[in-house]
Amino acid sequence: MIPYLLFATFFGLLLLGIHRKLIARIQRRPGPPIWQEILHTLKFSFKSTWIPATASEVLFVSVVLIAIGIWTAAFFVLVTGGSLLIIFAIYMLHKIVEHGFGLSSGSPYGKFGGVRSVISAASEIPLFVSVSAVAIFTGSLQISDIIAYQAETGPLLFTIPLAAIALYLVILSKVPASPFAIVESKEIVSGYKTEHFGVWRAGLETCNGLKSYVLLLTFITVFIGALPFLGILLTMLLLVVSLAFVCALCPMLSPFDSVTIQTIITGIMLIYVLYLGVFG
Amino acid sequence: MKKKTAFWLMVTVAVIAVLALILSETGTIPEWLYLAVLVAGFPLFVLFLGLWWMAREGDADIPFMGY
Repeated sequence: MIPYLLFATFFGLLLLGIHRKLIARIQRRPGPPIWQEILHTLKFSFKSTWIPATASEVLFVSVVLIAIGIWTAAFFVLVTGGSLLIIFAIYMLHKIVEHGFGLSSGSPYGKFGGVRSVISAASEIPLFVSVSAVAIFTGSLQISDIIAYQAETGPLLFTIPLAAIALYLVILSKVPASPFAIVESKEIVSGYKTEHFGVWRAGLETCNGLKSYVLLLTFITVFIGALPFLGILLTMLLLVVSLAFVCALCPMLSPFDSVTIQTIITGIMLIYVLYLGVFG
Repeated sequence: MKKKTAFWLMVTVAVIAVLALILSETGTIPEWLYLAVLVAGFPLFVLFLGLWWMAREGDADIPFMGY
């Protein structure tokens, strides 16, 4: 498990680097090398590490540990075939962690990022609709059961495509430079992570790498099923390419527009799940 | 935190993780306990590694007074 955990962290960072490079190439910019996010993580480890005088020291440091810890837990739940609900509970915890990052620093930019994190919680509602649709068909929320169901009947991606789109949108809202990435938009510097630098930022980057791997693997496991290891990595790459196209071609939405669009999508998903529940 | 302290804390966390791995492989402890050790230990290892690597000791940053 330890080598796989380290691999997942570095591969997740590599995927984020590929995402960034692709956005740049689509926009006809050279862009950074694909291993830039790995270099970022190492670079921040070299930087001086201080805690701002206005920060709440305990929260400022502990929130970094919690961020890495919860995604490590999500990773283990996923690879051991545990409950999908635990992974989504951890996803919700991540919103609280973002909030903690922003509020612990004492910086207004961080606080704005933290507040926007709460606003963007609207993006989690379609996620729960995905869970309902999966539960209606498979009769279970254990990942091992969902994989077994798909081995018999085929990928859920073709059975409940709208639920897959809902989860895709949730992943889209968490990738950098996405139309829904209001917590990190440029007008608030780096949002909730503005004041976390040095080792604290390196820890946050580690969390981001692991989080990307876990979310992509969740999508593949829940909507495509069991794949060989190389197949998983290639599918992740394809998902990242599609995400990069969306991010490169769509402008970043204002917080109000972001929440409005996500709420409309949520409404559509609720009608879809009601339809599945009655006629499915 | 002194650089030497960060180094020894990092080594301690790594040793505990490897020990948990060995105990799990031999069936002495259940797998969930081994994974719980990793969930608690991995974040600590990452931060102590970084602190040992480069962190300097110094005063806090210039206080941000707000707008």
